Amino acid sequence: MSRVPPRRASSSAAGAPAPVAPLSRDSQLAAEIKGLVTSGERDAARERYGEIVAHQQRRAVRIAYQYLRDAHDADEAVQDAFIKVFTHITSYREDLPFEVWFTRILVNACLDLRKSRSRRLRWAMPMSSAADVLPPDPATPEPTPEQRLVSRERAREITAAVDSLPDRQRTVFTLCHLAEHTTAEVSEALGLSEATVRVHLFRAIRKLRRLLEQS
Amino acid sequence: MIRGHLSDDRLIEVCVLEAPTPGEQEHLAACARCDARRSRLEALLDDVSVTASEAADAAFPPERLTRQHSRIMAHVEHEGRPARVIAFPAGHTQAPIVSRRRPASRWIAAAAVAGLVIGVIAGRVGHDVSFSRPGVRVIASRAAETPELRATGSTGVIREVSNPVDDEEFLSEMEIAIDSPAAALQPLDELTPRAWEVR
Repeated sequence: MSRVPPRRASSSAAGAPAPVAPLSRDSQLAAEIKGLVTSGERDAARERYGEIVAHQQRRAVRIAYQYLRDAHDADEAVQDAFIKVFTHITSYREDLPFEVWFTRILVNACLDLRKSRSRRLRWAMPMSSAADVLPPDPATPEPTPEQRLVSRERAREITAAVDSLPDRQRTVFTLCHLAEHTTAEVSEALGLSEATVRVHLFRAIRKLRRLLEQS
Repeated sequence: MIRGHLSDDRLIEVCVLEAPTPGEQEHLAACARCDARRSRLEALLDDVSVTASEAADAAFPPERLTRQHSRIMAHVEHEGRPARVIAFPAGHTQAPIVSRRRPASRWIAAAAVAGLVIGVIAGRVGHDVSFSRPGVRVIASRAAETPELRATGSTGVIREVSNPVDDEEFLSEMEIAIDSPAAALQPLDELTPRAWEVR
């Protein structure tokens, strides 16, 4: 599996206006789908939408899984988000990146699911086991048992450290580092000021560093 | 070039939030310690991202993503189409019932209610007609026989009604009624509404 370091959030200098980037391929496709739906060509719109789903799916499940830590819930949240996007495609603003709009819908779907899960768990018996939280082994070629053990232990530490972040910090960190959004995009997606996003990101990293360097 | 080392907080900002100033850049290039700290922080952040991505990728292998894609597209396929009405019971092929109010049904309901009310009233009246008449006759005949009852007037008559009727008289009345059923039941029959009249 490729280990591509994430894009850093510092795409724009502090206080300086972000340069206007050309719209992504998915943004152009979304605008095209909106046009097709408006003109009543729903079948063609669906066909085009399949391309967006295929392109955004992997990133979406990573965000949702990081949020929810449960594959079934993440699956449901991603499906909900994609269906909502198609249902409300006519309200998509072509001047905004599609990814930001989609991320906002996805984050809301995750939050809804987390709320309903916490309500559900209030009435359920705890059935926690270490295996549920344990991240699976990374798919590296034939690691030795010692390497696997160390890697698993490190992954567990990292997961626990990220989980210990306050909700807002965790969201900002996830969107900046996993979804590879800039702070300007995250502020757009979450409806926060960019300064607030930067503060949350800074605090999240400071806390992660403290926790992970201690361990 | 700056004189002191970069603080931990500034190092985070330089790594994640903003580009270092030219002075800081020179310092980072010259100071092995600060450069190592920055590299360590960058490696840690990469570790976090890679761990999270790998966990998600392991939970969602390509087959699962394919299934998810199909489910999303199946949902989208039905989006914006009218809901299908399932016939019940199964196999019943009648066209779906349209919930449109028919004015005739209101009239039928009103007629049924009216019929019921008329029936109840007729039942009560019929009961009075069929049973109070012989009673009155009995009372009248008995009043004629007993002069003290004649003096008491109407209240006496009411009291007389509660008295038990002589068995012989009652049976003879019954016989008369059985012998001529049409004549005895005529008033009741007149009051009873006909089904075809109610419509």
